[in-house]
Amino acid sequence: MTVYVREAHPTDEWQMKSNVKDDVCYAQPKTLEQRVAIANDFTKRFKFPLPFGIDDMSNAASDAYAAWPERIYIIDESGRIAYRGGMGPFNYKPEEAREWLAARYGAVKHDAPKSPADAAPAPLTPRPAAPAK
Amino acid sequence: MNRFWRWVAGILGVLFLAAFAVLSFLAGSPKDAYGMVRYALPHMHRGTLKVGSDAPDARIVALDGVSRFHIRERTHERPLVLVFGSFT
Repeated sequence: MTVYVREAHPTDEWQMKSNVKDDVCYAQPKTLEQRVAIANDFTKRFKFPLPFGIDDMSNAASDAYAAWPERIYIIDESGRIAYRGGMGPFNYKPEEAREWLAARYGAVKHDAPKSPADAAPAPLTPRPAAPAK
Repeated sequence: MNRFWRWVAGILGVLFLAAFAVLSFLAGSPKDAYGMVRYALPHMHRGTLKVGSDAPDARIVALDGVSRFHIRERTHERPLVLVFGSFT
């Protein structure tokens, strides 16, 4: 599941040249409605197929997971942190998370769902030996 | 101001400029260095979560902007990959 958190490079803060080049120019949302609008722009522009949620204006999820500006976690079946990725952008390594998942559950190949609402994680069977991370 | 304090102020000024120059080089430009210090560093923290910690719960807003759900609702009986990020 992807969780949209406060913008990293909005126009009214630390905007980067790449934002202009990629036509991704947004001011930092001041209201939940603005945050929801940007999140919807994102999912529509990229036809984003995965389950999607939005951190509310208290930034509770971002704070709880020290997740800003970007970060990956894997929570296991017992509700514990099984994998903690590094802080983005420099230590944001999706390939590392993918390798971790493949090592624990085996490689998963499935068709992407048509929309975030349709998305449901494929059932996985845990392997007994889990690499520590 | 006596001579000693003038030297101290001068050395501190040179150190500050050198640090800003290095940060500008690393960040890409003086503007990016300022942006990093002003906007990024206050929000970046490593956090205290460790592998094996209970995953914190938080209320998440759905794309419709109205519905809400909890992260914990998605963690039963199967693993959950949480990817945090923004558009920009």
